[in-house]
Amino acid sequence: MGGYGDVELIAKDGKRLDGRLADELRPITIEVGVLPAARGSCRMTWGLNIAEVAVYGPMEAHPRKIQRPDRAVLDVRYNMAPFSTSDRIRPGYNRRSREISKVTAEALESIVMVEMFPRSKIRVEIEILCAEAGTRCCGITAAAVALADAGIPMKDMLVSVAAGKINDVVVLDLDKAEDNYGQADLPVGIMPNTEEIAFLQMDGDLSPEEFDLAMEYNMKAAKEIHKLQINALKSKYDGGVE
Amino acid sequence: MVEIVPRLLKDQLLKLAEKNDRIDGREQYQRRNVDLEVNVLTNAEGSAKVVWGGTIVYAGVKFEIRTPWPDRPTEGSLMCGAELRPVANLKYEPGPPSAESIELGRVVDRGIRESGCINMEELCIVPGEKVWGVMLDIHVMSDKGNIFDACALAGIAALKTAIVPAERFDVGDDHQLPVSKLPIMASYRKVGNRFVYDPCEEEELGGDERVHITLGDDGHVHSLQKGLKGTFSTSDFAEIFANANEQANELREMVEEKVN
Repeated sequence: MGGYGDVELIAKDGKRLDGRLADELRPITIEVGVLPAARGSCRMTWGLNIAEVAVYGPMEAHPRKIQRPDRAVLDVRYNMAPFSTSDRIRPGYNRRSREISKVTAEALESIVMVEMFPRSKIRVEIEILCAEAGTRCCGITAAAVALADAGIPMKDMLVSVAAGKINDVVVLDLDKAEDNYGQADLPVGIMPNTEEIAFLQMDGDLSPEEFDLAMEYNMKAAKEIHKLQINALKSKYDGGVE
Repeated sequence: MVEIVPRLLKDQLLKLAEKNDRIDGREQYQRRNVDLEVNVLTNAEGSAKVVWGGTIVYAGVKFEIRTPWPDRPTEGSLMCGAELRPVANLKYEPGPPSAESIELGRVVDRGIRESGCINMEELCIVPGEKVWGVMLDIHVMSDKGNIFDACALAGIAALKTAIVPAERFDVGDDHQLPVSKLPIMASYRKVGNRFVYDPCEEEELGGDERVHITLGDDGHVHSLQKGLKGTFSTSDFAEIFANANEQANELREMVEEKVN
């Protein structure tokens, strides 16, 4: 979180700089089967964010020391393309992308039925092509859809979404300016059917009441995004949206 | 991939070649469907997406201000990188760039650089102090064969649409990056006993040597690369060189139509 609350992010009428209300999401689109080389894939646009995810496997896990006798391992990579931000990013891993890859893998392990594929590996490649705050949520949400597209058995879907605080007001789905000048950011990963939480991070400053409201916004948004995930899958496999 | 599969595939490709046929039913010099979209990435100063059959490539241009090389105080620079990340195909592993990845980046770079499409003097801001560094990054998202041509096409199209962000760096007004030429690459693969244009994934797996030709607007050649084991005669080369000209002209028209 950058500056603390001194930048005007909410207008007098309660609307945010881009015209959204406090509990409103940016526009989202989800498409499956977009990368022909992959076994399963997903393209998600979330506001100005663009993420494309490829899933390969299950396949034999190499090197052997990463194999687990009772389950598959998820090999997840979150990567930002060099041209995805206003300043070019040097290609290759950095501390931030490593951490996000790790927590994403752990979140996805909670939904994938890994025990069905002992000694194997499932590769999940998340590429961020355009970044405008909220890329980890976008990556996780798209990865869950790509896994489903690859036919990997899963207990539930996973939706990741963030709420935060700007100008002392709790809001849903922070954009770039709100993220830079806001006071808190609370990204979570929610299993929409059971409402369990598989991923959780937070930075900034929230009171217990603000936290509760932020979680309420996240839960409501997760249900909305879940519908988009299901519709995207249905439009490929079930001849169209219900 | 186990040795045996390419071996069987090789036999099949050879039989098809003898009947003047290809594994996906195309003619010897027929291209797959190519779709080009420009300005697809808001955070890049210039961008393009190429869908070439099942191969998908993005290219994005970024700028930086740097001090010029001491021996070329009035010249900016172009850096071109192509990455073969594991997202693109099962066969690509994570880790430092492979030799194939580096070859791809360098061959694409040479074609664009040597065509002289960017006059480096025009990238000078203050001689000896400040010049523009143009950074072209090419990102392969799906490799279903012939990534070289797709990368080169996305690269030049992204440069063609690039806006120099001078206002953001406080050095004048934003302006179009001057790109005066349109170098186009055409790639051929020895499959069976003959060269085919625009090899698909199976032809790359079961084929032999490859040849990449980059041609400028005037039909002049700007970069050549022969890759992998295998040899060919000068008459073989003359034939594909003549064909490369036709392919390049068609693709160049497509770029011109999309960027203007």
